[in-house]
Amino acid sequence: MNAMDPTEVFRQEANELFEVLEGALLDLGQRPDDRELVDSAFRALHTIKGSGAMFGFDKVASFTHEFETAFDRVRKGEIKPTQELISVALAAKDYIRALIEDPQSTDDIIGEAILDDLRRFVSSDQPAAPLEAIAEVPPPAPADSKQAGWHLYLEFESHILRNGSNPLDLLEDLCKLGPCFVVPVTDGIPFLDEMEPEDCYLKWDVKLHAACGKDAIDDVFMFVSDEMKLTLSPLEQVEAPAPMPLFQLLDEEPAPETEIPAPVLEAVAAPVAAQPVAKAESKSESKPEPKHEAKPEPKPEAKRDERGIATVRVQAERLDELMDRVGELVIAQARLSQLAASGSDLSIKIIAEEIERLASSLRDTTMGARMVPIGSLFGRFRRLVHDLSRDLSKPVEFVTSGEDTELDKTMIECLADPLVHLIRNAIDHGIEDTATRAANGKTEQGRIELAAVHSGAQVLVTVKDNGGGLNTARIRAKAEEQGLIAAGAVLSDHEIHQFLFHPGFSTAQTISALSGRGVGMDVVKRTIENMRGSIDLTTRPGQGTTVTLRLPLTLAIIEGLLIRVGEGRYIIPLSAVEECVELTAEDERSRGRNFLNVRGNLVPFLRLRQLLTASGSPDKHQKTIIISTGETRVGLVADQIIGNHQTVIKSLSKLHSDVTIFSGATILGDGTAALILDVAQLVTLAQSKVEKQHISEAA
Amino acid sequence: MNEGLAGEQQTGAMQVVMIGLGEEKFALDAGLVREIIDPVPVTKVAGARAFVPSVINVRGNVIPLADLRIRFGMPQLDNSEDTRIVVIELQLDGEPVLVGVTADKVYEVTEISQTDVQQTPRVGMHWKPEFIRFIAKWREEFVIVPNMERILN
Repeated sequence: MNAMDPTEVFRQEANELFEVLEGALLDLGQRPDDRELVDSAFRALHTIKGSGAMFGFDKVASFTHEFETAFDRVRKGEIKPTQELISVALAAKDYIRALIEDPQSTDDIIGEAILDDLRRFVSSDQPAAPLEAIAEVPPPAPADSKQAGWHLYLEFESHILRNGSNPLDLLEDLCKLGPCFVVPVTDGIPFLDEMEPEDCYLKWDVKLHAACGKDAIDDVFMFVSDEMKLTLSPLEQVEAPAPMPLFQLLDEEPAPETEIPAPVLEAVAAPVAAQPVAKAESKSESKPEPKHEAKPEPKPEAKRDERGIATVRVQAERLDELMDRVGELVIAQARLSQLAASGSDLSIKIIAEEIERLASSLRDTTMGARMVPIGSLFGRFRRLVHDLSRDLSKPVEFVTSGEDTELDKTMIECLADPLVHLIRNAIDHGIEDTATRAANGKTEQGRIELAAVHSGAQVLVTVKDNGGGLNTARIRAKAEEQGLIAAGAVLSDHEIHQFLFHPGFSTAQTISALSGRGVGMDVVKRTIENMRGSIDLTTRPGQGTTVTLRLPLTLAIIEGLLIRVGEGRYIIPLSAVEECVELTAEDERSRGRNFLNVRGNLVPFLRLRQLLTASGSPDKHQKTIIISTGETRVGLVADQIIGNHQTVIKSLSKLHSDVTIFSGATILGDGTAALILDVAQLVTLAQSKVEKQHISEAA
Repeated sequence: MNEGLAGEQQTGAMQVVMIGLGEEKFALDAGLVREIIDPVPVTKVAGARAFVPSVINVRGNVIPLADLRIRFGMPQLDNSEDTRIVVIELQLDGEPVLVGVTADKVYEVTEISQTDVQQTPRVGMHWKPEFIRFIAKWREEFVIVPNMERILN
């Protein structure tokens, strides 16, 4: 069951490469001079081409090849990557993706058109300086220059030949950079009977007499860089200005192989060893010329993982299963701990503690394995911004930060749609058009910032624009028009902005900079709340709007506060809890007003016994848990605070979907189920109850 | 309510789990039943509908515990030593849902053949007819085959 369809593997990899390619292309639009970006785009293209051909995606390979050829002038620095060129390149990327994902639906004509566009852009002659820079390098290395060349020591991993790479080809490419003196180092060659015919035992010591950059050399070994050791040092003096025969060279240079053991000498006679010597010889005699093609053909099997960290691809479902098992383990462990605590057997207690420690670290590791940096998500939006900015002719600068912030993979998937909404809104309705911006003394280019940052047990994702901000008066007018509030009602700006999340609040009829804001905002809010997150909105007229999504780190296990109300036990998510205070006799007495005085601040409280219809008589000393939800702080009055609880979240079934005040359930140490309070819903429910009461009193 | 009846008549005999609720006997389609367990501590769900008043933990899953007695307007008895929880799996809105059903007694797993099936009478019943798939005769007694999907929706 581990054998995955190779084509599927290719698709997955291609997807990752597309992300790299797209990211590089978009970055290139911002920093057209960054060679690194061009190279990374090329690397991605190469690999797509190579693996495409390997897996039988011939169309992909040939199109990518054409794309590459057309784009090559950019790589060589002959032309600058303009915005138009990047748009075409992005279209080409999309076409390749279509070729891979749904070859039937693609049309060769489209591909041809894209290629024509590409060729048109790159053939527009722009006499470029970089070309001359390359051409200036005279074939024979200048003897007097201080940086006369490079001394390279190449050591390949023994399996390199099996991967289809040929070191000789690479050496050949290297020779194209300038005159090379290639000396094979043979001290790694074993006895004949120990020799694996497919292994590479040779190393090479190369003196390259060319004033090329380090980049040019790195380019040559781009595809095997993971499988080799390249020691590079600048050549101070040129010993031999002109190529000379190899034999002579061997005599003159103190070659590292002076102490070759006798058996190795015999081995040199073997074809494996003899061949490179001959090659190297012929190379050093041929007149090198600075050719444009310094890069080798991609090796199909060349390693794609550039990060150098060993990674394993695991199916997402397996991680989910693992998380489930860990959840069960945590529950079983809680039972064990409870059992151990109630007994007097010390050895059981020790084991229980040990298991508790192990279970909690296993939980952390498992959750860690599910964590994905949010950068993978952010990358997708750059294209969105690029396209929207072009379509709406609003120049927008897109800035992201905190790409390394990690979130549970399920959450990342769920976040995509809400963020698309928010970013689209920000560009469409937040950022003003160029004329308005100019009139308001702002820069012509708008700015959207997408940031992620850790904040305690939460991750904050913010979408910030520097547009016109929300028009509070207009939202209010609209809310009144729709009958959501009474005409004269006193509401804070914050409360008014909440109407944006009202389903169907905004309509297309409003013609203003903020028209449409609110379309889909209710969906955004719902999605975020389903993830146990919350959404905040701050705005400053004329300066922009910031939408902040507060998200829990994970969906599977949370830290909870276990409380008792009557006979029932409930969990309050610890992230919502601010503090716990005792309900004083004075607070208790005041029947008419349910307010607490918390260090001079007025905090309303709700009696959970009433809300949860608890039976029996209340405990003498009631406890209040102060929770915060959005901007409200509310006290929840419970009978007892039991303590912290590792809460494995189990969702409630459909039969209880009508009960909104619980977000789920968990299993306690004694095996009973406990419900998790949804504090936001609890407060809303209490508010609506109060409102109903007021209405009935008024009537 | 006759589509169920017709279906059974075509397939012939039907395996059922015979349970007792109050004075009545009910036959649950054995195909629905996942397991039968002893009573476990229940957790009340405030604000839930009366016939699904609580949840229970069954092998690490939190599942709703339904009380058919409420649906059939019968008095609730305290748990006795015969009380069991029958865990059944239903399709609700196209999704499989595990539900526990309290039974005052579980008799046996048996078969009802099509010849035992009786027409549901239009009169003489104080139960909502849509809750009943059909009535069958078993050992000289009339047993109710309930329509669990309807009862729990």
